[in-house]
Amino acid sequence: MSQHAIEVHDLVKTFQRRRQPPVRAIGGLTFSVPRGCIFGLLGPNGAGKTTTLRVLTTLIRPTSGWAAVEGFDTLAQGVEVRRRIAVVLQETAAELFLSVRDNLATFGRFHGLSPATIRSRIDEVLDQFELEADANRKVMDLSGGFKRRVQVAKVFMVDTPVAFLDEFSAGMDPLLKRAVMARLRDEASRGRTIVFTTQILSEAEELCDDILILNGGRQAARGDVHTLKLLSSGLYDVSMTFERVPEGLEAAIEAYAPLRYRVNQNTAVVTLHEHNFKVLDVVGTLAGLGHVLRLEVNGATLEDIFVELTKARGREA
Amino acid sequence: MGALAAVMYREGKIRATNVTFIFWDLVYPLAYLLVFGVGMTAMGLTAPGTGVDYNAFFLGGVLGMASFGIASNTAWSFFMDRDNGIFYEMLTYPMSRAEYLLGKALFNLLIAVGQATTTVLLAAMVLGVPVRWVGVPLLVAAVLMGTAGWFFFYAIFALVIRRNDAFNTVTSVFYFVFLFASSMFYPIEPLPESFRAVALANPITWHVDVLRYASIGVGAPMQIAVEGVAFMGFSAASFAGALWALSREP
Repeated sequence: MSQHAIEVHDLVKTFQRRRQPPVRAIGGLTFSVPRGCIFGLLGPNGAGKTTTLRVLTTLIRPTSGWAAVEGFDTLAQGVEVRRRIAVVLQETAAELFLSVRDNLATFGRFHGLSPATIRSRIDEVLDQFELEADANRKVMDLSGGFKRRVQVAKVFMVDTPVAFLDEFSAGMDPLLKRAVMARLRDEASRGRTIVFTTQILSEAEELCDDILILNGGRQAARGDVHTLKLLSSGLYDVSMTFERVPEGLEAAIEAYAPLRYRVNQNTAVVTLHEHNFKVLDVVGTLAGLGHVLRLEVNGATLEDIFVELTKARGREA
Repeated sequence: MGALAAVMYREGKIRATNVTFIFWDLVYPLAYLLVFGVGMTAMGLTAPGTGVDYNAFFLGGVLGMASFGIASNTAWSFFMDRDNGIFYEMLTYPMSRAEYLLGKALFNLLIAVGQATTTVLLAAMVLGVPVRWVGVPLLVAAVLMGTAGWFFFYAIFALVIRRNDAFNTVTSVFYFVFLFASSMFYPIEPLPESFRAVALANPITWHVDVLRYASIGVGAPMQIAVEGVAFMGFSAASFAGALWALSREP
């Protein structure tokens, strides 16, 4: 058996719509994901993340190339693939007329769990997702955030070797999101492969062992967070809070041709490349303009890299 | 089998949230027979050329109408699943597309059999319809095949048409065309040639004729056999069409 939970080879997906030009959503994507890995698919809107996930979850067929999950071809062995996956789609999906408990039970039935296992898992999942008080309420009576909880909770009812989560944290409060992320890490440490898409880069930075940045349906970058950060070596974020905004601050910043900057109340945040000058010189110059209350210098964040890569592709296009 | 049972379990759970709905499903053909059939019989109408009163004649029609109604309601539930977002998630569950369709059909076959049993028993006991009890196995088979066949037929449209209002228009047209250009409400033999030709090509006629033969013994056995086989072909083609529609990309 392959070492990889997921293999994608030269995947192309073009959507043909009547009386509309074809749209190439994925243009020759190749990657693999080892077992037990938390894999993040990142990219701006329309990058091809959801389309890739839809191919992998057997919802759509590739135009060319192939994809396999746990060694099973998504096109020819769809049922085998579906036996091995649990999926959280981007759109809210729940049985609105059923109670929270029945939603979880129904999902367990589909995955072939015994009634006893279903009962014990439900208790565990209700507790983890703080849904005990609402267990017998119909999902249609819950708020949007709670509906999402029910949807994500289902993934933890089953032990499928692979879980796909498309922007799972949308509408989730920060505390629950932390708890889910901890649970995902725990599941991965026990060998479950987690594939998720997100536009919240701090989530990916915190959670992912491996990241694929997509843009325009193609790979823009690939690697763990540290490797990706190397793509932007010499990129710094400088944040300075002044007692009051000094005169000539913006002109002084612009003299260093930053990638971007913003001055908000007394704080200036500048992102720049250390090509022709030392970052400490920049700090020294700006600090000389007024009384500095707080100073922070950081290396590039995943967001910086993401912006750089996707902007670059945008310019190429 | 596990996937079929899971789909049936789900359908049952959803239907059980509305007991009135189930009650109406079970009794509405009988109610139709009581209101429409009794009214017609009271007016002294008989079904020409059949030798039975209108109540007896209409029993097969009302059973056919019930299958047709259950089928269209079940197909409509695809829209509800889509609105709830669960439709696409279900397509990622461990089952084939065929199991999804069959599971949805199977639960409603249980309802259809319950409905037919209630209707036939009360038609015999309350309205004095001379039910041919020896035909019950054929009657059950026709109810099952009819409900499934019409569900698969409607499912094609429910899956291809993505707008609820457009689907409602289609079902209205189907109700009008299929039900009235058939042998459901009246015998087609005394009708004009052109009407008869349309009715004979209508799968509702095939289905109702089998139900009528099974329930009260009206009809020529050879013609009923041909119509039965034709309806099985229609159901198989509809299943293939529904499978194709379900396998299309979202």
